[in-house]
Order: sequence, then C-alpha cells, then structure tokens
Amino acid sequence: MSIADSSIASELSPVAPGGQVEGESAPGLSAWALALRRLRRNKAALIFGALFVVLVALALAAPLWAQVADTTPARNHISDTIVVNGKSEQVVTLEGVPIGPTWQRKFFLGADSNGRDVAVRLLYGARNSLFIGLTATIITTLLAVVLGLLAGYFRGWTDAFISRGLDIAWAFPPTLLGVALGVSFALGGLKVGPLRISGDSLWIPTLVIGAIGVVYLARPVRGQVLSLREKEFVEAARAQGAGSLRIMFGELLPNVASTVLVFFPLLVANAILNEAALSFLGAGVQAPSPSWGTMLADGVLLLSTAPHLTIVPGLMLALTVLALNVFGDGVRDALDPRAKVRLER
Amino acid sequence: MGRFVIRRLIGMVVVMFAVSVLTFLIFNVIPNGAPEDRMAGRNSTPVQIAAIREEWGFDKPLYTQYLTTMKKVLDGDLISYANQTNVIEEIKRGLPRTLALAIGAALIWFSLGVALGLYTAIRAGRWTDTLVTVLALIGVSMPVFWLGALATYYLGFKAGIFPNGGYSEIGEAGLWEWVKHMILPWCVLATLFIGVYSRVLRSNVLDTINDDYVRTARAKGLTERRVMIHHVLRNSLIPIVTLWGLDFGAVLSGGAILTESVFDLQGVGQYFADSIDQLDVPPVLAVTLFGAFFIVLLNTLVDIVYAALDPRIRLS
Amino acid sequence: MSRTFRGLACLSLACLAPLGLAACGGDDKKSAATPSGGTSSSSTGSTGGRITSATTSFPDFLDPALSYTQEGWQALWTVYTPLLTYNHAAGAAGATIVPGLAEAMPDISADGRTYKLKLRSGLKYSDGKAVKASDFEHTIKRVLNLESGGASFYSGIVGAEKYIKDGKAKADIPGIVPDDATGDITINLVDPDGRFPYILAMDFAAIVPSDTPFENQTKNPPPGVGPYKFENVQINRGYDLVKVPSFNVPGQQVGKLDTIEVEIVKNRRRQTQDTIQNKLDYMNDPPAPDQLRDVRAQYTDKRYKEFVTNSTYYFFLNHRVAPFDKPEVRQAVNYAIDKRSLARLFGGLLEPDCNFLPPGMKGYQKIEPCPWGDPTAAPNVARAKELVKQAGVAGQSVTVYGNDEPEAKSLAQYLSDVLNDIGFKAKPRIVEASVSFATLGNQKTKAQAGFANWFQDFPHPANFFFLVDGKTIQPTNNQNFGNVDDPKLNAVLDKANQNADIDAVADDYAQADKLTVGGAHVAAYGHRKLTVFYSERMDFENCTVWHPVYNLDFTNLCLKKQ
Repeated sequence: MSIADSSIASELSPVAPGGQVEGESAPGLSAWALALRRLRRNKAALIFGALFVVLVALALAAPLWAQVADTTPARNHISDTIVVNGKSEQVVTLEGVPIGPTWQRKFFLGADSNGRDVAVRLLYGARNSLFIGLTATIITTLLAVVLGLLAGYFRGWTDAFISRGLDIAWAFPPTLLGVALGVSFALGGLKVGPLRISGDSLWIPTLVIGAIGVVYLARPVRGQVLSLREKEFVEAARAQGAGSLRIMFGELLPNVASTVLVFFPLLVANAILNEAALSFLGAGVQAPSPSWGTMLADGVLLLSTAPHLTIVPGLMLALTVLALNVFGDGVRDALDPRAKVRLER
Repeated sequence: MGRFVIRRLIGMVVVMFAVSVLTFLIFNVIPNGAPEDRMAGRNSTPVQIAAIREEWGFDKPLYTQYLTTMKKVLDGDLISYANQTNVIEEIKRGLPRTLALAIGAALIWFSLGVALGLYTAIRAGRWTDTLVTVLALIGVSMPVFWLGALATYYLGFKAGIFPNGGYSEIGEAGLWEWVKHMILPWCVLATLFIGVYSRVLRSNVLDTINDDYVRTARAKGLTERRVMIHHVLRNSLIPIVTLWGLDFGAVLSGGAILTESVFDLQGVGQYFADSIDQLDVPPVLAVTLFGAFFIVLLNTLVDIVYAALDPRIRLS
Repeated sequence: MSRTFRGLACLSLACLAPLGLAACGGDDKKSAATPSGGTSSSSTGSTGGRITSATTSFPDFLDPALSYTQEGWQALWTVYTPLLTYNHAAGAAGATIVPGLAEAMPDISADGRTYKLKLRSGLKYSDGKAVKASDFEHTIKRVLNLESGGASFYSGIVGAEKYIKDGKAKADIPGIVPDDATGDITINLVDPDGRFPYILAMDFAAIVPSDTPFENQTKNPPPGVGPYKFENVQINRGYDLVKVPSFNVPGQQVGKLDTIEVEIVKNRRRQTQDTIQNKLDYMNDPPAPDQLRDVRAQYTDKRYKEFVTNSTYYFFLNHRVAPFDKPEVRQAVNYAIDKRSLARLFGGLLEPDCNFLPPGMKGYQKIEPCPWGDPTAAPNVARAKELVKQAGVAGQSVTVYGNDEPEAKSLAQYLSDVLNDIGFKAKPRIVEASVSFATLGNQKTKAQAGFANWFQDFPHPANFFFLVDGKTIQPTNNQNFGNVDDPKLNAVLDKANQNADIDAVADDYAQADKLTVGGAHVAAYGHRKLTVFYSERMDFENCTVWHPVYNLDFTNLCLKKQ
C-alpha cells in the first residue's frame, strides 16, 4: 500500500509564491495556459489520458452493456446453455468450469464459476472500483489539506496536537489497519452516532482507504504551509487586515491545492490498487458486488481451467492504473517542469 | 547529536504507547459485538466465553483491560483463542520468513532501482529512457497479487522451473532450495518498488545535475565520472535512502501480506491475514503492534541517519 | 456433525440432540449390530514405508475426548480404540459394529438399560502400560468434565448428569461399574437407548490411561491402543502417525505403512499441484477447483476417486415464520431449486438427490419419482411462481442465512437468487461461522431460511432425522432450524427410534424420508462427495478403503510393491 505515497511526499516540493506555476513566461500567456501547452506536447500523457476517459466511459456505460447482454452483474446462469459458433455449450460445466470468452453478445468475455457474465461484471466492477478510488482520494485530499493547513498555519499547540496524531497514525501498518478495519466493518457495519452504514456498502472500503491515505499527504502539506506562511504575500495579506481563515483559505489554500492536485491522478491510481488489494483479501468490497479485486480473488482459484477470469480483470486494473500514472506524470511535468530535464542544455 | 537521538528514542516510546492504546481500542471497542465473542473467535463455547470474560476482565473498566492485555503481550503469554497456540511463538516462527522476503526484495529493488534510475537519468530524453520509464510504470501499475498468482502458476506449476509456493527452511532442505522458493516472491515484490525508485532517483539526479555546485565541480575540471558519483549520486541518494528505510519498514510490518499469501510463505503477514479471517483478535493485535514497532523503529533510524548527514535537521 | 471445509469443530452444546431424544428403547434382542465381529483387514498390499500427506487444517483436537471433526476422527481412529468399534471396511461392512477392546459385543438387558462388557485381557497401551477396566470410566469422565462436544451422548448414563453438575473431576459415575480384577464393565443407562452401541463406538469413548489429565491433551496426546501412535505433534504444522509394532488385538487390523507424515498446507492448490507432481503422496482434501477437471480426467481410477459421504446438504425453511409457514411456499422452493446448479457450485463434488437421507445409510430408499422433479433435470420454476402467487406472499422480503465459509456463502447467495426469481425480495445475510449455530439455533432470531448441512456422527438414521423431529425443538441451541413439527413424521420417528434393531425399522426410516421430502419440510439437494488423490507411489488398487464413518482408512494405506 501507499508506496507511491512516500515518493509523493519526497517530491512535494514548495511551489513558487503567488500560487503560480513555474516556467518561463512567454509574453501574453498565463502560466496555466503554458502548462496546458506543455501537456499537449506530451503525447504519451495525452494518449493515456484519453484511455482513462475511455475506461471511465465504459464503466458508466455498464447498464447499457447489461441490456445488450440481457443480464445483471448478480444474476447467475449457472445451468444455462448457449450457442457458440453453432455448437451448444454449457455456461458452467458440471465440474464447475465456466465458459471462456465467446465474443458474442452474451458472455462476451466468458462466465465466472457462478455463471455470471464476466463482461457485465467487469464494467460494473469498474464503476465500483473507480467510484471507490476517486471518492477515497477526494476524502484523503480534503482531510489532508485541512489538517495540513491547520497545523502549518497555527503552529503551536494545534500543530503539536495534529503532528503527534499524524506520527501515531503513521506508525500503524497501513495494510494491516486497512484489512482489520475492512473486515470488522464489513461484518458489523459502521455505526457512528446517527450514521449507520451497512457492512456491504461501498462506503466502507471508501472510508477506510480514504482515512488511511490522509497521513501520507497531511505531512507534506503541513511542511509546505509552514514554509509558505513566511512568504511576503502572506505578510501582505495580514497587513491588509485579513483574518486567519481568509489567509488560510484565500491565500495558502490555492498554493497548496495546486501542488496537491498535481498528484491527484497518482493518488487515485494508488487508491484503486489499494481497493483491489483489500477486496482480494476479503476486506474491501463484499460479494456479490463486483469489483476488480473480488473478481481477481475468484479468478485465481480457477487459474488453470479458466485463466480469463484472472487475466481480464487484472489487465483492466493494470491498464487503468497505468493510464492514471502516465497521465499523472504528464500533468506533473506540465505544471512543474523543474522535475523534468531541460533538454536545451 | 546525542540529544537528538535521545529525543527521537523517547518519541519512539511515546508513539508505541499511543499505538498500543489505539490498537486496543480499535479491536475491542469499535467493532460490534461483545469483545469476548470476538476474542473467542470461531470455535467458541459459552464456557470459553465466560472464562475469557473473567480472565481479561471485560466487565472491568477499559484501562484495566488494556493493562491485562499489554501484560500478556509483553510476557509472551498471549494465547490465540482459535487454536490455543502461543501468538508470540507463531510470530517468532513467521518472522524469519517475512525478514527473508523483505530483505531480499529490498536489496533487489534498491540496487536495480538505483541502477535503472541512474541509467535513465544519464540517457535522459533518449528512447531507452522512455522504454525503461514505461516498463517501470507498468511495474508500478500491476497489482502484486495478480503478478504473483500468474508467476507462480505459469513459471511454477506449468513450467516446473520454480516450486509451487511455500517456504523451505535453510536448515531442512539446504540453501539452494530456500533460494528457489524465494526468487519469485522477491522478484514480484521488488517489481512494485523498482519502478518507483528508478523514477525518483532519475528525477533527483536530473535535478542535481543542473545545480550550481555540480557545474562548479565540472568547471574545476573534475572528470564526469567523479562528478556523477561524488556529487550527483551522493546527493540524489539521500532521499532515496530515506524512502528505502520507510518502505522497508512498511514491507516488514505487514505490507507484504499479499505476496506472502499468494506464495503461501506463512510469514507474519499471512498469519495476520489468516487470523483476521477467523476474527482471532490476539494475533491481530500482536502483529499490529509488532508491525508498528518496526515502522517506528525504521522511521527513527532514518531520522537519525538523515540528521547525521544533514546538520540542519538536528537543529530544528 | 456439521462440517465445513475448514474442518471446524461442531460447537459443543449447540450441535447435539437434547437429552429428551435419547429415549430410544431397546428390547431383549442383542445390540443393533450383527455380531459378525471378526477380522476386517484386507491383507493385500505391501507393508512398510513412509508417506507424506497434507490437509488444509489441523484437527480441532488431537484428544479423543474432545475432537468432533472428520479430520480429528480420521486420525484418532488409528491411534485409539474404544470398547466397540467398526470394521475397517467399506460400505455396509464398515458400518457394522464389532468388538474393539471388548471381548465380545455387549450383553444388553431385557429392558435395554444395562450393558455388560468385558475388557480383553493382556491389552497394553503404545507405551507399554497395561489397560484396566477402570480406564473406561476415566475416559468417559474426561468427556463429561471437559464439556466435550460429545458429552451429551453420554449424559444418559446413570449419574452422569450429576457428575457434570457437580463439576468434580475425580468424582465417581455410579452408572459405570468397572472391575479391574475381572475386566468386567457394567454400564447403566437412565433410559434405554437404541443408539448406545454406536455411542460406545465413537472416538469419545476411546480408551485412554487413567492418569490422563483433565485437560486438552492435543499438544501431547496420551498413549492409546491402536495400530498407530502420534509423534511430533506441532499444532498448526502437522503430526506423524507411526506404526506401533506391538499392536496385536484379535480382530483388529494392523497398520501397513510405517509412518504417515501429516503436514498442514492451507493452500489447496499447492497440495493438488504437489500431488500431481508426486511431491506429496496423499492429499486429504478435494483437489482445488481449478485442478479438479484435469485430475478427474487424467487420474480417475488410477490415482483418484470420488466417494459419496453420508451427509446431507439442505436449506432449512422455518415453519414458524412467514412466508415458510405455508406449505405451498415451501413446496415452491423445492420446485424452484436447480440441483444441477448446486452441483456445479460444488465443482461437481455433490451428488444431487431427492432424498434427505444419504444413500449409504440403512433405510435409504431412492424416492422415485421425486415429487419436485428429477434432480438431474431442469427445475419447474413456473410452478414455483404459481404457488407463490397462490399463497399470496409474492413481494415479501426474505433473509437467507449463511455463514462466511466459502461454500455456505455462495449457497446462501444462490437461494436468494432463486427466491428473487420466484417472486420474493430476498437477500443473504452472512453470519460469522462461530456464532452461526448459536444464532440459527435461537428462536428469537426468527431466521426464515438458510444454509445447513449435516455429516453423520454414526451410521444410524436417527442421527439425521433428529434434525426434523418435532421433539427436538428447543428455544436455544436448537438444531431443528426449520422447527419442523409434522405429527405424522414424529410418530414414525418415535416408533423407529425405540427399536434397537436397525434392519427391522429400515422401512420406517424410509417412510420418514418420504415424509420429510414429500412434506417439503426442508429443501434438500444432495450429498457431499469427498475424494482420494494419491501420488504414483501409492497402491491405489489394493489399499484404498473408504469407510462410511471415517472416510479414507489410514490403516489400510500402503505403497505399491516395488
């Protein structure tokens, strides 16, 4: 878990004052437009960015495909037969071996051991995995930024309190914590005051993954706020009579946000991988809801007779994460070209 | 320097204490259901449940319970309720396996990561750079358990090159068997990190290459090689070593749970996974504490090493 | 016992029939088993050698007084012998009770309350100590004192209840009168119990020395009288079964192999792969699902074979809670479930069947034609939907209970899907396995339907029918999850349970079976198959004996003659 997070921490370097992005200013072009131009020149990032958009679109189109295939992700057709290439085949043989990809409307990518349509489940699973990945990252980002701002700006006791808290949270082995919390909440649901979340809701893994990621982002944000608050523009704002809240959310936040946003795609990629890991161990999405992780968990059990059950979700997962990584790299290079070599020596 | 070390060590103890309290709370308070049901795990009988309630004092206030539990842990007296085994003994048994996995993989990913990072930095902009970067990205994007499952099936069972998983004790079957069993897990675990490290090193190197003092060194007439190794590499390595310490700690403390499970290595991570499956709380508690200990230990060590290398940190 | 494939123990109090059931009478005939006694060993096959075997979970206990799982019994049977035991044979011969450490079958009094046995003379434990008659009383005391899962089987002995209540380990049980000088053992029961010979043959009553402590001895099992003994027991890692050369009891089979090393390998896939590659000699569990097809195709009858066990898998339907209080609705469920699908969920290791009773049991008569449709053909979902509509319960919500063992989970899911298809709003509720029996056995839960299974404790039909006997319903620790209370069925069972002669009442039990299935009191779908899979070294032809109670007989395992 969160390995890339630590690399993010080391790469989160303070951005120039004024919330602006570095780069040579050509006459008439704002820094953001410049960044966009750099991004456009990065072919790889564009291609993979488009790939990601395509994947999201596919995921959103899941109900459409379900209609085409005339089934739902949970319906099992375990004793059905279908006609493939003129021959009548069993969806699941008497020995529990499911059919492989048929490349037809029904069971386009084959069936799983419960006789469910893999393609339909894959797309619905994509929805779930992407939802969890994105939402968890949003939660992480919001919490981390707020905590970092509070700690970095107010310093003193607030900082001590928050920092000690972060230290302790950091000490918890993230994977173990995620698994333990995931399993506990999956079995019993989450009951906090009036809030009741059932054990098989998607919000459980979302909250767990979101919460665990906070500590890895909060510290670097705090570090950045600490250095930023000494800059002239903050002093200027104070001189103008701005209150703490205004300074935090008006001046510091945009700076911090632009840096954090640079890492957003990478954070999402990480969250998606984390969700797959948790679901694989049974601590994430609960059956029968599909997710790439649960599909992989089911798939490896049938690796020799039905390899498509392992290969298909794994490939899709890897592609999505790769797309996010490459695109995220491109975004970072565009917004912070110091990280990339200047070819013009 | 001494004061710095002492401060850090005290901090370590404080954090460990806080972690133990929190772990205790999480596993005993937050999940629903009576803690004694949870403790008793799967094969519980009403008699067992009553006995546990009495022994651990679940009817007593929380802090008493906490003290009883911690005493059991420190005495090495913690018994798993799922199968009456001594949890600390089980951890001791799994520890060498997790260590073997972590250390082997860590050495591989460090050396390969640095080598690749350096290579791509030197060849920055050329197609080899792009190729290696792409490969590294792919390595980072693949779920480790997927890779492991495919590797152990196709290279292990189908091709027969490697064993079908499991761990071979050096004492029992010799060094070569041990290595054969460990190669795939090492490689699979390392793949994940090589990608990250090569890219981080690459970007660090590229940053430092253009720094002023490097230009000065070159201007002074030092050979490119000397410049690279003595100046650039040394400075680029510091954040990498920091990173390495943190990641090694993470892997050792249970981050390898997936690799261990897929290859059936029966290390500490897998012990945790099996225990959580059975809702067997004592091992879960103990492994979490053990994991936290390693993270904190390595964090502290890294801090100390960093401070030794960079005097500014000591004074903060 | 109920069994899951992690080899979990049946919960001690929760899985036993309450005392009320033990009122099975006897008459002045001898005990139920035909006294065919005699040797049961197959003398074919080589002797000697050492093999490695694997299983996914360590037995719940390696203490005969406590173990209540298939893995436990399978090992314990080779190490400890009770006064009565079974033939080491397959099929009906294996289900026959024969004298073990006793000289002959028991003398049962006319009123069925007194059993007289005589211990063979000259018996020695594997460590050389002599066996005394009073060891038997100590053995039973351990079962009662340690609150074993099997305790309730022996609570029908005079004084046993008081012994349990008083809780003093060393107190006497008046109902057991051993005479060390002569070797006579007299057992007095409160009420006659036709099952008692089988109860005496259970491993709970396997004789251990009188100095065995009143504590779980799994770490260091006591010596026993048997073809093998335990060595190298490491909890969760494995144990060894080593042949006892001095074992020589008339009529008892001696071991063939010298050593059987049992290792715990949690990963079934690895077990299967190792066995295929001959790195492992025997795997206790069925092959991993993705290897099953290939193993079947390549090795059936060469190194691999499947056996139907005496077990029943069914969905319980609660007669006391809507909507299953209406018979039409229960019928609908029986019409709608597709036994072929269920067989697939087991990877083919389920024998679909109409009957509730397993085929290996006395009293089994295949119900043909099946009132709910041919188990190997498509179900009649249309009729099921009709019945649901007729009963006016369409749209009601149903919670299907399952526990979180992998099979139970997918089966609960399956039933939910089926119920949704026929007009309900069903959802599975998965409960932790440790509390699932307590949950389902508590009337307050009002569980409408769910997954259930049962593996025989001994080859007597009463051991299955107590699950649907109105007399066994209780407010807590109930095993009759469906609260089945059919007066006709109860009457048939009452009559049959009184009679100690199984053959005489076989037809009555067949009748009970028809009533259970025909009355749609449960939705039974089949019987579990277990497997035997060897490496090439093993002698498949001559040494594979599948025992109806103990599954693969370890004592009969041997290597191919070189």
